[in-house]
Amino acid sequence: MTLPANSTKSSELARIAAEAAGNYSSSAQFTLTHGYGSLPISVISADPDKEDPSDWPTDFCHFSAAGLSVSTSTWPSVNSAFSGRVQIDPVEHAGPQDTYSYSGHAVPNPGFLNQSTRKVEVLITLGNTHWSPTYREALMQALIIEKLTALAAERDAPVLHLHTPVAPVPLSYKAERGDGSNERLRDAIGPCLRFSIGVDPKMSDARLDFETELAALAEEYGFGLKLDDQRLNRVRGDWFTIRGFDRERYRQARNRLFPEASAVTPRRAVIASVIGPSRTGTTAAAVAALRERGVGVLAASISSMRRTTFINLVLPVAADAPAESQQWTGGWLDALSRLSPGRGDEPGDSPIDDWKVALSPAMRCSYPPSSQQTGATTTGRVPYPIWLWWQLPHRTVDTPALLAEVQAALQPHTRRCDIAYAQSRLCRGDVVRGRAKLIVMLSQEHRDHETVQRLLADATEAAQLRIREWLPALGRVDPSKVRLRLSPRERWLTYAEISA
Amino acid sequence: MTVHLRGQSAVAERAGNGPLDHLRTLVRALPVPTAPMTFPSREAALGLALMDLSFRLDHLPRLSEHLTLMDRGHMSRVISVDVDLDLISGRLRDTLMVPGDAALWVPVSRYSRRDLAPAVIRDSNGEVVPRLSHRDANRVTAAAFVKLLFMLISAHDDVSDQAGPIHQLRHTHQRSRWLIEAAITELVMVGSPVGPRMHTPLDHADLPGTSHPVRDLALLGLDALFPDAGGDRLLIPFARLLQLATRQYILVAQLGLDRPRRFLSWEAPLLPAQHRPAPLQTLAKNVLPVNREFVVEYETEIPRSVKAYHLTLEVRQEISVRRFLMASDVDEEFVEVLAQDLESVARRAERLGDHHKLLELEMQGIASRLAELGRRRLVDLASYEAYLARLPIPVGPGSVPPPPRLTADQVIAALSAGDCSLDVLAAFCAHYAADRMQHLARSGLAGPALLNIAAGLRAAQVGRDVTTDNDPREHGAHAHWRRPSVELSPQSTEPVRVFAFMALADEAPALIENITRMVAGLALVVLAIGTLLSGGVAWLYSSAVSANFVPAQADAVVAVLLLVPGLLLARLDLPSTKSVLGQLHKFQRMLAAASVAVTTALAIAVGTVQSDREMTRLFQVALAALIVILVCCLCEFYARRIHRSSSVPRSTRVPRWLRDARRAGQRPVEPDDFFDARGEV
Repeated sequence: MTLPANSTKSSELARIAAEAAGNYSSSAQFTLTHGYGSLPISVISADPDKEDPSDWPTDFCHFSAAGLSVSTSTWPSVNSAFSGRVQIDPVEHAGPQDTYSYSGHAVPNPGFLNQSTRKVEVLITLGNTHWSPTYREALMQALIIEKLTALAAERDAPVLHLHTPVAPVPLSYKAERGDGSNERLRDAIGPCLRFSIGVDPKMSDARLDFETELAALAEEYGFGLKLDDQRLNRVRGDWFTIRGFDRERYRQARNRLFPEASAVTPRRAVIASVIGPSRTGTTAAAVAALRERGVGVLAASISSMRRTTFINLVLPVAADAPAESQQWTGGWLDALSRLSPGRGDEPGDSPIDDWKVALSPAMRCSYPPSSQQTGATTTGRVPYPIWLWWQLPHRTVDTPALLAEVQAALQPHTRRCDIAYAQSRLCRGDVVRGRAKLIVMLSQEHRDHETVQRLLADATEAAQLRIREWLPALGRVDPSKVRLRLSPRERWLTYAEISA
Repeated sequence: MTVHLRGQSAVAERAGNGPLDHLRTLVRALPVPTAPMTFPSREAALGLALMDLSFRLDHLPRLSEHLTLMDRGHMSRVISVDVDLDLISGRLRDTLMVPGDAALWVPVSRYSRRDLAPAVIRDSNGEVVPRLSHRDANRVTAAAFVKLLFMLISAHDDVSDQAGPIHQLRHTHQRSRWLIEAAITELVMVGSPVGPRMHTPLDHADLPGTSHPVRDLALLGLDALFPDAGGDRLLIPFARLLQLATRQYILVAQLGLDRPRRFLSWEAPLLPAQHRPAPLQTLAKNVLPVNREFVVEYETEIPRSVKAYHLTLEVRQEISVRRFLMASDVDEEFVEVLAQDLESVARRAERLGDHHKLLELEMQGIASRLAELGRRRLVDLASYEAYLARLPIPVGPGSVPPPPRLTADQVIAALSAGDCSLDVLAAFCAHYAADRMQHLARSGLAGPALLNIAAGLRAAQVGRDVTTDNDPREHGAHAHWRRPSVELSPQSTEPVRVFAFMALADEAPALIENITRMVAGLALVVLAIGTLLSGGVAWLYSSAVSANFVPAQADAVVAVLLLVPGLLLARLDLPSTKSVLGQLHKFQRMLAAASVAVTTALAIAVGTVQSDREMTRLFQVALAALIVILVCCLCEFYARRIHRSSSVPRSTRVPRWLRDARRAGQRPVEPDDFFDARGEV
């Protein structure tokens, strides 16, 4: 019996199985909340039992855009008695008004091995104005998501993460290389899309083909393309520009492909969460089906938690569509006919036919009023991004509580502080690691770039100290085990990269 | 119970070496069960947790091995580990709890099933720590596999396709699944041989080739669950897991939660030498005055997550450890991925050329990794040079010229030609750090030259590091390996292979010095007797024969010739031939015996020969023989000097880049003993 010597994937399989089988649990339980505002609601009880694992979610994901937000918590569950792969039900009167909650179970897919893969992260620029997408741009964005994820699916590469809108990266000039302290401030959000796929490091052919075809797509549609800098000792947030955004070509492609779509900004949107066991090619299938029915994507957040994929999409609702006031759950095909009633079902062999969907009622959306790139500094109230990275012992402080602390700690310096996304998961060694991006408006307005930089740096330093002081009291957590970084630059988040 | 057997041809039809071949063979050979094989779910969870932890062993921050060379051919090992229970995550910890006790079952090592021998684990107080029995460990492992199989079936894409084999295995035709489960259990409980195929009762029966629906569905289900296409996604990981479970066993200790940090040690099964060098080579070492060294090589595997690994060696006080060197393949996977990247880029240089920036990104990524490798190996080389300089008899740079200073163009030209020597890589690292390696996409490097670099990297074994001895004692050695501060292949959990090279020798005050003195003394005795009998030294060089050479009192001369060598020989303290020292002294013992034989023969001649002429000639021959033996002794001294000044061991387990850096172009030689502690992996 000759086998390749590498046992990395075998031990990963053993780990997944061990985690899935531990404690009699055989499925993943999750809760999902659609609502307004940006602060996630804690799902744990007021006085959680430190020893009871079912009180503490292991994975958490929050995302807000256009004034709407989705948060998801996941933990392993004992329950395995349900039919199908996923089960989801609405929860009545679970929280404040205008929030819609759901809970469910999913069978995780232990064969979905992606820990040993190399991550390729991509930043796509779909415009250089501030973010207020029209119906047509939503369709264009859906098309691009579909094309990108299909490229990954062709190579059996799982989509680890997809997120839009995100903060654009300003063009760097040679003189500004180095630590980035002098580079231009980033916009909090822009018409950009960030996604990462996992490729087996030993299949460099597949990776190179993917990147080449991505560059060809960028050329065809005119979108800007940046890849994560693959050099050693470069960290997350270091980008390498492959192509700049070609405004004219992008405009032409958009008008050619969607000549009839409306060029106004949608006022209402529904949040659709498509949930199922992780596989490759699912995002492409979901977005393609929607786009074929004329539904674009305003904003999206896709992530895998406990081998279950959550595709959260903010879908624009046509201005003349009847107003639904009820939340809804059901199968994928039913959801499709609900979203675009005019079209009949075409039962195909899509990989997500057995997935389930949670749909919120149509909700009013809002867009950020100003941006730095478009010269809004003159009017004041510019939103700036702040990144957060943390590592805390499990079962001490749950992520929504931590985010609330961060908001409170930034309060003295800011007029407004929103959480654009947050994600945390339980890692080896019983620690929860997470990252978040906050959008802040400083309470003091300045036009001067350097002053704003200093204000932001001061605010994050002070807030960081404050949170470190508060946390031990909040969750009775050992202060030596708290690691937390708050920074106006994404690449400054990383702790010394000495393998733990 | 009815035993269903199928013809030999059916077994032979898939007798290739597929990854799940043993499982398939058992599916064909085992009786079909009529009831499910149920394991408690707690056992399944425990088995999976033990399997997971035993592969990574990331709760062991430190690992030490103490080797003792018992005799030639056997090595005893004492293994000690630091265990940190806090590093086991809460979820796994709940699963590993020993029922009714505040303690955990913790895997501490994996062993080959061949080496089954009692391992008594003791903690720092010397108290014996309870262990999970081998049988129980196998049972929970089998339960784990049955559970894993069920999970894979339940999560399969086609489980709802009612006509498909996966659905049938899960819901309607469960006997086939039970059969697979029984086969897995049998495989784990009994173990599987290393050979290409299993020996089953089917090999002995001539059965008509009728098919059996339950077995056929089981085999079909295995095919559907683990498809050959894209096998590295699930088939290979599962098969590898099963292979490790059937060829190794897990050493599991019960550790109380009251003390989360523990120190455990145990004696590993005695290790026999795997390999003996060719008889001719051994003969040459034993009959030529080459001042033989006894070369021992040792290979083991350590978990990638250990932060520190200590390897100590102890030998008898009479033996000196002349060289002790450890190499590990910690960066090998990184180099392999880099080489594959280089080859992929080389094949696609034309396509990538259309997207210039993409090619530049790839080239910069490659350059940064090459530079890092150069930097790391240079640190290793510096520590090796320091080791040579602090040896009891320091080894200088010898005839190695000082490293050339290369310009950026020269570096690129050398790399393009496939020269990945340390000089070139170090120069590349310096130029890269100084930002002189920009716009690589436009340089001559992007293209077929990358294939040469990939070949050069593999040939130079740049992925292997070197750790040297830091024990000041002569009869012991110690090497301390530390995990690099930045892991270059962070996702990997592949164990790190460690190679140790040890050259044992007889250093001063050595036997050869005593023997030389003895041979010189005997030569002087013969010379003195001859001179006294002939009345001058003329008999040494002249052909004329002195008239009174035959002694008047032969008895006295005979007594001197017999007694003196006997007394000298008795004081030599010759070791047993079985020991390592005996091997080292084999030739020298022969010299001593030969010198005694010469004087004894001369004594016999003195007692019997009456002719002056013959007696003179015999004295001359005896003296010549003793001088030849003395020359052999001096050759031994010279050979020892050569060995001592050798800068790099001539071994295949020493990385090529080190041999190249010290211009050690000689052919590697086989070791005297090779010990493999990796188990059947």
